[in-house]
Parts: sequence; structure tokens; C-alpha cells
Amino acid sequence: MLKTVHRYEQTAARLVVEGYPDLSDGQEGDTIGILSAWRLQLVGAPELEGTRDHLEAMMAAVMPYARHQLSGIGARFGTNQSFVGIEAVGGKHQLQLRSSREGVKPLQLLLDDADLADLVRCLDRLRLDEKVKLQWTYPEDRPLARKELVERIPLLRRLGPAALGGLLLSFSAAMALLLPLPPRPGTATSVDVNEPGSRIINETK
Amino acid sequence: MTEAPSQSGVRLSRRGIEQLDLLLLTAEALDLNGGEAMLWTSHQLGLQDRFPNRVELWKRRCHNPLRRITRRDPLDPADAESLIALVCAMADRLYPMLHQLLSTREPEQLTQQRWELLRERLGDLIEERMNLRRSAVLHLLDPATNAPTHHRLVSTLALVAGPGGINRLRAFLLDPTP
Repeated sequence: MLKTVHRYEQTAARLVVEGYPDLSDGQEGDTIGILSAWRLQLVGAPELEGTRDHLEAMMAAVMPYARHQLSGIGARFGTNQSFVGIEAVGGKHQLQLRSSREGVKPLQLLLDDADLADLVRCLDRLRLDEKVKLQWTYPEDRPLARKELVERIPLLRRLGPAALGGLLLSFSAAMALLLPLPPRPGTATSVDVNEPGSRIINETK
Repeated sequence: MTEAPSQSGVRLSRRGIEQLDLLLLTAEALDLNGGEAMLWTSHQLGLQDRFPNRVELWKRRCHNPLRRITRRDPLDPADAESLIALVCAMADRLYPMLHQLLSTREPEQLTQQRWELLRERLGDLIEERMNLRRSAVLHLLDPATNAPTHHRLVSTLALVAGPGGINRLRAFLLDPTP
């Protein structure tokens, strides 16, 4: 059986997947139903390669990360134990790749926004390619919860308006306490007028 | 090429419509012939029934509350879906430019000049089409604060470029207002 190779290229990234059609599933020709290997070349980084598990882990980490980036959230995706993890570090994106071999240190790549977009486009093409019949497991793109979006706003900006409102309310209350009360009905009050020597006595009964 | 929308559409919030129109405006700022390119791309997507001419496209975009001339009725979900597909297709076309702007490997001086050009064109388009009495519009025009917004718009376009970006962009536009 001939090995099938599909390439997905985007400016600074090239993803190559190799595999065979799954004959038991009725696949034929250049369809890939069994992934044998993959390679990812990113400009300025060593070539990455691995098995289907590694590629699935990359898809599961990078796709939701890209979705969250759109909403301005740079949280980490992929646990410390998973093959691939990605998080925002100093305005860039740190991709961490863990080898399945014992004693191999994790590889860390720092991607800029353009590299991330290239990688996402390559993965998009792979998952949408009708000739690659593989099931990818990553969360569906959904609107984020309000709680997640609120957390990206700095505490000062989030609580600032409420604190300012509270401060203004306290100030108004304090000012109101300092103002003299109006005279009570039934008490005699004197009112000064501008004319010298005149005085009005106001008596209420 | 991005395909025509297959979903029936989504009801976008005011924030979602604002973002969608701003992304289209950024695409126009990147492409000198953006208006024509947008119409041509919509026809390529098979949306000629929905956007037969520039006026119809403009009318849909006028649902943006930040516009100088704005329509108060809600944006039809099918129109919203078509505009989402259009943004992704335009981003796909403009991807090399988006990449140049975002790449740190490009010469710094050249990148700065490219950003400056984009700022200028986007500012002109905003001044021409948006309601300048709105504080959100003034914020977009303020050179002291608008750089992160411009960067966010360009990186959003890069991350939603192509057919794979449609679901991502739709999900982003449906985010609740924090």
C-alpha cells in the first residue's frame, strides 16, 4: 500500500501528515484514515514530529487557545502532563512540547502573533481536509462565559467605578450632615434683612 | 476560499455588530480598493442575492450603532452570518499583509511604517463613517490609546482568516459584554 502525504503550508509554517487509507472503513486513494507520522516546520524553530497522539494534543491545545485569544484571554491550554501546552508569555505565545521518551526535556518555542496565526491556519486546513478522515477532540468554539471575560479586565478598572461611586455617595452624605437643618415649625426665628436697623420677628403659632 | 455560510445565522448583540463592522473597516483600510473587493468577494461566496451591490452591503453595515447613519432595527441573523463569512474571506485575501504587520521577523522600521499607514487609513475611514460624538469612536481615533485596539483588530483578522475561522469568529462575536 502506498503511503499518502498531505502538506499544509502557510507563510512561516509547514505541516506534513503521512498515513494510509483505512481499508476496513472503505477508504481508498489518497485518503488518510490511519496517521503514521507528522512533521511541523516553523521558521526559526527545530522540526517537530510525532505520532497521532501528539498531533491530537496539539490540536486540543492550540485551537481553544486561538479562540480565547480572540477574546483577549491568554490562559494556558494543555496540562503540565500533556504532550502540548500553550500559554501567553510577555505578549508572545509559548508552545511547550513534551516528548513521550523518558529523560527528554520539554521543548519550548516562543511564537509571535504571525507564527500563531500560521500554525492555526495549518491546523484549520488539516481538520477541514476531507481527505483526512481523523476524529479530532477539542472543545467546540463557543461564546465565553461572562466570568471568564470579566477576569481579563484589571482589578482597578473593574472595581474603579464602584469605588468611585461609593466615595461620591459617602462625600454627599457627609456634606448633607454638615448643612444646617431647616427650622422646625412652631419655633420663633429671626430673619436678617439688608436694611440697617430693621428686624423681622417671625412667630408661628 | 471561504465558503458561503451554511448556518441559518445568529442574533448578534450591539457589541458583536460593532466588532463585525470594525473588522470590515480594518479590511478596507488594508486594501485600497476594499469596497469593491468586498463586493467581489461576497459574489465569490455566492452572496450576490444578499449583497447585490455596495448600497445593500452598506445598509447591512449601518446596523453598527457607532455609525454616523445608523439603523435601529436588529441585524437579520442570515445577514450576520453572511457578514461573518465575508470577514473571514477578506482576511484570507489579506492574510499576507496581516502576517507582515504581526510578524516580529520583519524589519522594525518597515513594520512601524506599515502600522502608521494602517492607522492613518483606518482613522480616515472612521472619521468619514462613524459618529464622532460617541466616546467609543473618539477612543478609536485617539492616537494615545488606539494602538492596542488596532493590533487586536489585525490579530483577530489573522486568527479568523479562511473557512476555519468562521466558527471562531462567530463564537467571539457572541461573547457577552463584560
